[in-house]
Amino acid sequence: MSTPYDGPILEISNLSISFFTRLREIPAVMDFSCTVMPGEAMGLVGESGCGKSTVALGVMQDLGVNGRVVGGTIKFKGRDLNTMSQEELRKIRGSEIAMIYQEPMASLNPAMKIGKQLMEVPMIHEGTSESEAYKLALQVVTDVKLPDPDRILKAYPHQLSGGQQQRIVIAMALMSKPSLLILDEPTTALDVTVEAGIVELVKDLGKKYGTSMLFISHNLGLILETCDRLCVMYSGEAVETGSIHDVFDVMQHPYTQALFRSIPLPGADKNASPLVAIPGNFPLPHERPPGCNFGPRCDYFEKGRCDAQEIPMLSVPGNDRHQTRCIKFQEIDWHAPLKAKKTFEKAKPGKVVLKMENLKKYYEVSGGSMFGGGDAKVVKANETLSFEARESETLAIVGESGCGKSTFAKVLMGLETATSGKILLYGQDIQDTPIEQRSTETVSGVQMVFQNPFDTLNPSSTVGRQIIRALEIFGEGNSDAERKERMLELLDLVKLPREFADRMPRQLSGGQKQRVGIARAFSGGAKIVIADEPVSALDVSVQAAVTDLLMEIQRKNKTTLLFISHDLSIVRYLADRVMVMYLGHVVELGTTDQVFSPPYHPYTEALLSAVPIADTRVKKKRIVLEGDIPSAMNPPPGCPFQTRCRWKSQVPGDLCETVMPPMVTLDSGHQVKCHLSAEQFASMEPVIEIAAE
Amino acid sequence: MEELSWGSIIARVFVQFWPVWIGMIVVFAVSIKFKRRLGLYGKMFDSTIGMVGFAIVLFWFFTAIFANQIAMYDPLQISSGMKNKVPGSPLADGTGYYLLGGDSLSRDVFSRMVMGAREVLIIAPAATLFAFMVGITLGLPAGYFGGKLDTFLSFLANLVLAFPVILLFYLLVTPEIVETGIPKYLAAVLFLFPIIFLTILLNSRFFVQPKKRNIYLAITIVVGFWIYLGLAWNADPLNIISMQPNILIVFVSVVFVNSPTVFRIVRGLTLDIKTRDYVAAGQTRGEGPWYIMLWEILPNARGPLIVDFCLRIGYTTILLGTLGFFGLGVSPDSPDWGSTINEGRRLLSIYPHPALVPAIALMSLVLGLNLLADGLREESLRD
Repeated sequence: MSTPYDGPILEISNLSISFFTRLREIPAVMDFSCTVMPGEAMGLVGESGCGKSTVALGVMQDLGVNGRVVGGTIKFKGRDLNTMSQEELRKIRGSEIAMIYQEPMASLNPAMKIGKQLMEVPMIHEGTSESEAYKLALQVVTDVKLPDPDRILKAYPHQLSGGQQQRIVIAMALMSKPSLLILDEPTTALDVTVEAGIVELVKDLGKKYGTSMLFISHNLGLILETCDRLCVMYSGEAVETGSIHDVFDVMQHPYTQALFRSIPLPGADKNASPLVAIPGNFPLPHERPPGCNFGPRCDYFEKGRCDAQEIPMLSVPGNDRHQTRCIKFQEIDWHAPLKAKKTFEKAKPGKVVLKMENLKKYYEVSGGSMFGGGDAKVVKANETLSFEARESETLAIVGESGCGKSTFAKVLMGLETATSGKILLYGQDIQDTPIEQRSTETVSGVQMVFQNPFDTLNPSSTVGRQIIRALEIFGEGNSDAERKERMLELLDLVKLPREFADRMPRQLSGGQKQRVGIARAFSGGAKIVIADEPVSALDVSVQAAVTDLLMEIQRKNKTTLLFISHDLSIVRYLADRVMVMYLGHVVELGTTDQVFSPPYHPYTEALLSAVPIADTRVKKKRIVLEGDIPSAMNPPPGCPFQTRCRWKSQVPGDLCETVMPPMVTLDSGHQVKCHLSAEQFASMEPVIEIAAE
Repeated sequence: MEELSWGSIIARVFVQFWPVWIGMIVVFAVSIKFKRRLGLYGKMFDSTIGMVGFAIVLFWFFTAIFANQIAMYDPLQISSGMKNKVPGSPLADGTGYYLLGGDSLSRDVFSRMVMGAREVLIIAPAATLFAFMVGITLGLPAGYFGGKLDTFLSFLANLVLAFPVILLFYLLVTPEIVETGIPKYLAAVLFLFPIIFLTILLNSRFFVQPKKRNIYLAITIVVGFWIYLGLAWNADPLNIISMQPNILIVFVSVVFVNSPTVFRIVRGLTLDIKTRDYVAAGQTRGEGPWYIMLWEILPNARGPLIVDFCLRIGYTTILLGTLGFFGLGVSPDSPDWGSTINEGRRLLSIYPHPALVPAIALMSLVLGLNLLADGLREESLRD
């Protein structure tokens, strides 16, 4: 319940939060100030470990046993939250301030029906009657645009999809009409098309209910789409704060600038204008440098000045509440072009090394395993996959979870055998050869880089040992000494210091672990590397460095890179050709330019529109897909995309619902699996347009 | 000589334990000094509960090691006139005292308790270790491969778990059953597991370097089979290693009932860890299943296993006590705690001390192990 109040909703001034471990005090947030006005959406953006979530938890006064506010005030509607009793805080939490977390399933009680969980909120905080609470729940569920609210209220959380669950969490937060909504990476666990729906919803609801929002994200594009103002954080401090337009277009802090240079915006290209990674690493909380925290990684660093004193927040004259933590901001020429920009020759794709013909992979899922009861169900993970990949080419495979891209990788690696169809590796059939029967040469020639950097290395074995093991298995080197030397060379290749050989994986950062993963994949001289979302779990500034590294090794070794990703920005940046998958089918295949400009497959169109782009010049057409991805166990008849397609009405009759569309070749090498006619394809408009400056 | 007062009994017992105190002080001083470099073991010294538990366990550990120095008399020595004497009674010839009194056969309760620690602390950890080897060797493939193998092994484990433990013990030690040779064959099978475990462990890692592998495997197999022959078949060609047949039966029974639980823990951990990317990375570079199980999965399951190991030594100690209490397995005049409690039981209402002393010893050791496990679990979760 919000009480009328017209000052700032949230006023944080000089907030410092520390965590106390058995070794030392770790300052997580230092001298952080920000103000959220009524109805305003404030974005908090920064890399992992910069303290943005700690700020949110500080506002909720939920820092756990080790955390403590060590300085500053957090005022909510003029009242200091730090001095409130637990009793008072309990009244505010969940009713005046609501929080939405990253993982929806973790926020819902799995043993309680949705309706009951929603009704609890007003019943506890306002003592409303059950029937009134039910009415309110019904209305809020309708507001978050869930189909069939009555049924949803009677469902248990596990019966809903991830996107629906997150909508319920949002509904629960809205039940009490809070004045402040804190969203901590609310869409990170969701697919892009689902994310687009949630973002749209949050924006609409913000307008409708007039709620102030604190939106925490690592994704600048998402912040641009949802917020009015933002605050960029680095290593526990706010480094720049201001309105979206000021910070995006006339940034006044070197870190913000470096951040924008390291994300693949439209126009970036791996050969002509490669990304610029931020040099160095994020400082650990207890190893922060004196003076400016960003100093050691900053291009404009001046010894004796930037590291001489604590840097205060300075106001940028002329702009609305625009502040920066840089003492040189008025001296730096912010529009100076990048010096010494590296460019590369475009690599010529060579001969075909990998060819797939009508590859199919079905899984049988039986009902009860022990007594063999129940009907066997077939999951069609891959359907008629056909494509070829050439030497030193990057083929991107794009699609959301459940589209079959991981299954495809497993079949190619030999962890599973194909149900039917062919995989030709250098003209040799390998679809029926499981990995144990493959020759060492084939195994070491096809390797994989994994998605999760925290999972890709065995936590109980040193980095060097793990690379040496790969060398042993691939039969590289004749003695231990030779293999050790080769391992050190591989560390050089991925630009890690040689001392890292003796480190344990837990001592490495995410990006460094991913580099070790790359070194391990290339240890047997791999010719084809499947990179399964290799950078999606990394911070943006690290993403650029790891991507560049992959490109560099590819240029050197003429590797064929199969780049699996759902992030179309990075795909546009580095891929030569793109293959879009949906529910086990290839729906579009073509060169990067062909796929990223019209005509599109309707799914590609939606996907392009869903990806948030951190550039104020970009105009996007909003296409929000209804519903969720159907289950592969029970795919819709006809075209797999027909349940969510916005072009379906343009196809005569019930063609989409009954007949699987053929693969239509539009241009040379541009194939689309759709029933739309040539004229309809021609009428498609581009989704992304860059406004001229 | 006068009877000793309680104060001087305690003082004398304290002095008698001097090697234990020195040992504990050294271990604690060194461990606390270097606790930051000792991993999980070092972290335990941040938890009071863990330290108390560790201190108690260490106390009994050193007692077992220095038993010969601490015990004042031979545990079987009978001194005339000391039958059921209360604690602090002087010997008839005036040469010393029975600090904690005499039992129904005029033996020194204190010395028997000290020597009993040795019996318990040899069998319990060794039996637990064997149970872990069996549980791990079967639990890993069950969790990793799943399917029919898993169904079959889990069924077997549940079968053993569902059988009443005491009844199982009685059956295993009944002379008729012993005559059929079942315990012996059971031992022959169970004792094979450590050799299988080590052989697979070394082979899966070193098969890429055949020279190294052959040396390691030769050593393991020769030493392993030598110990195996001695322990399981009592047929050591050099006559160094042997195990009394009744101890062997106790050992086998304890391993047999403990391994299904370990199997289930390992299987569960494997099911979880096998979904990690580093396991997939191992598979995609063509690593064999045993390498993945033993070198990629097992080391990362060590946390919960170490905690369970401590707890399980406690259970095993109680089990041994129970067995001894029923007079199963160990020889009748053995000073182990369970048998001593059973002997003292008959006159418990008149002379409680012969039963009480080993009972408190048993209780404190198990309590120490449980506290230690608690401390380890708590500290392994914190950073």
